[in-house]
Amino acid sequence: MLDILHYGFMQRALLSSVIVGTTCSLIGVFVVLRGMAFAGSGLAHAAFGGVALGFLLAINPLFAAVLFCLGTAGLIQVASRRAQLRMDAAIGIFFAFAMALGVLFIGLMKRYDARVYGYLFGNVLGVTAGNLILMGVLGLIVIGTIGLLYRQFKFLSFDEEMAEASGLPTGALAAVLIGLLALTVVVSLKTVGIILVEALLVTPAATAYQLTHRYGMMFVLSWIAGIVSCVVGLVVSYAIGIPSGAAIVIVATLLFALAAFLSPKRRKCKVCGRESTADTG
Amino acid sequence: MTTENSVRFEHVTVAYHQAVGIEDVSFSVEPGEFLGIIGPNGSGKTTLLRVVLGLVAPVSGRVRVLGASGHDLRQVRSRIGYVPQRRPLDPQFPVSVREAVAMGLYPTLRAFRRPTADDRRRVEGVLAAVGLLDTADHVAGHLSGGQQQRLLIARALVQEPQILLLDEPTSAVDVATRSAIVELVRRLHADRKLTTLYVTHDVNEVLPCVDKVLYINRTVRAFGSCADILNRETLESLYGGRVVFAEEGGRRYVIVGDRHA
Repeated sequence: MLDILHYGFMQRALLSSVIVGTTCSLIGVFVVLRGMAFAGSGLAHAAFGGVALGFLLAINPLFAAVLFCLGTAGLIQVASRRAQLRMDAAIGIFFAFAMALGVLFIGLMKRYDARVYGYLFGNVLGVTAGNLILMGVLGLIVIGTIGLLYRQFKFLSFDEEMAEASGLPTGALAAVLIGLLALTVVVSLKTVGIILVEALLVTPAATAYQLTHRYGMMFVLSWIAGIVSCVVGLVVSYAIGIPSGAAIVIVATLLFALAAFLSPKRRKCKVCGRESTADTG
Repeated sequence: MTTENSVRFEHVTVAYHQAVGIEDVSFSVEPGEFLGIIGPNGSGKTTLLRVVLGLVAPVSGRVRVLGASGHDLRQVRSRIGYVPQRRPLDPQFPVSVREAVAMGLYPTLRAFRRPTADDRRRVEGVLAAVGLLDTADHVAGHLSGGQQQRLLIARALVQEPQILLLDEPTSAVDVATRSAIVELVRRLHADRKLTTLYVTHDVNEVLPCVDKVLYINRTVRAFGSCADILNRETLESLYGGRVVFAEEGGRRYVIVGDRHA
């Protein structure tokens, strides 16, 4: 089995799986705790506009997707804060707008380029060294910022009103968080694609959520679930010849099902009929 | 502790969405005083606390808190403990009571800095002060209503504030728990010499401990010492109905009758 690591494309695929599994599973903790799943889905679709623009202008599609996703994240944040609009409505407006621009850019291309659609479902075996460097840099930005603002994000997610009253700059923190989500989406495009990235943003963290009552432990378990999903999914996809994005998401979902079945929270609820008052963390 | 007023409002007016929240409000609280803020629902009590915190800017008038005013109000926010109206904490959020209390320290923590041993001692100290030390490792959202209220008080205290703001801290708890929380606040105020602003719509709640009373209904209807405000004539004019004083177990209670009686 280790023979597959002799191939350069497989080494890059494995490394990209580790980067994607790590960034998605860590930012995913906030996606789950703050109920930002729709934001992740919206930004992933917005990335399509950036990818299409990249092909139209013959620049790196991932670089164009970074600009597009960050721009969309900024518009969502401004609209929801300044225009007194609910966050989900703001996401609905701007992700559809970004998708529409993507369709427009494809229409403006002089000749059909099927590679655009490769970003919809991802192809981890097609990751280049250049892709890998960009993914690594963006991944480090995401992980480093989470480390820097770990506690502040915790307070923001637990009780935003009190965090603001205590003096935390909640507006800026929320903007940084959605910006990190946008970067994570771009990191994942080549590996799992626009359609399936949502699963990696939610499923590993939701798996961890089943197993612990502790904030720090949720990051650890989510990271393990994310890495296992990406690496096992990659190996399975290579071994039986199925698309890598689909294999990764299927493994992640199976892990979630197993965690939900074994969850100590579920067992407690059976006994007491409601949430336990005892800490299991 | 500063020698000037802890909180001073001078003709403060606040507007939300083109509607007046509070209008021409003036009062002051000296260091270490306990101010009871009473008034009906929607009278601007919470707005007043949000102005003290610097979360809402007045459209006119002047606010000074611990010597700061205008944009500088944000600079003194870490010296103000705030206990909001209680909403049930998320029972599934993975955070312990100890962590939830320690969050009160986060605004003063630098990036990458972990709470120090001294910070942890402060957390233990306030948990003991509010009687939650035994439940420190429980999930915060699994506590009972009264315990969650104590948690919020502990979180406000952990930053060692000079001013403590409480916004109807007993609004969602039973009668026995209400008395326990009022007694806890009274004790903390006395032990720590905190300037305390306590918002409630039930005057009886703050009767045992207040130095001053502010009755607000959009604007200040009455402000003064307990003797000035908590007498039959003043209360009857404020409530618009008959007011009776009763004594039970050495405590005095205000009973407000039907305003149409």
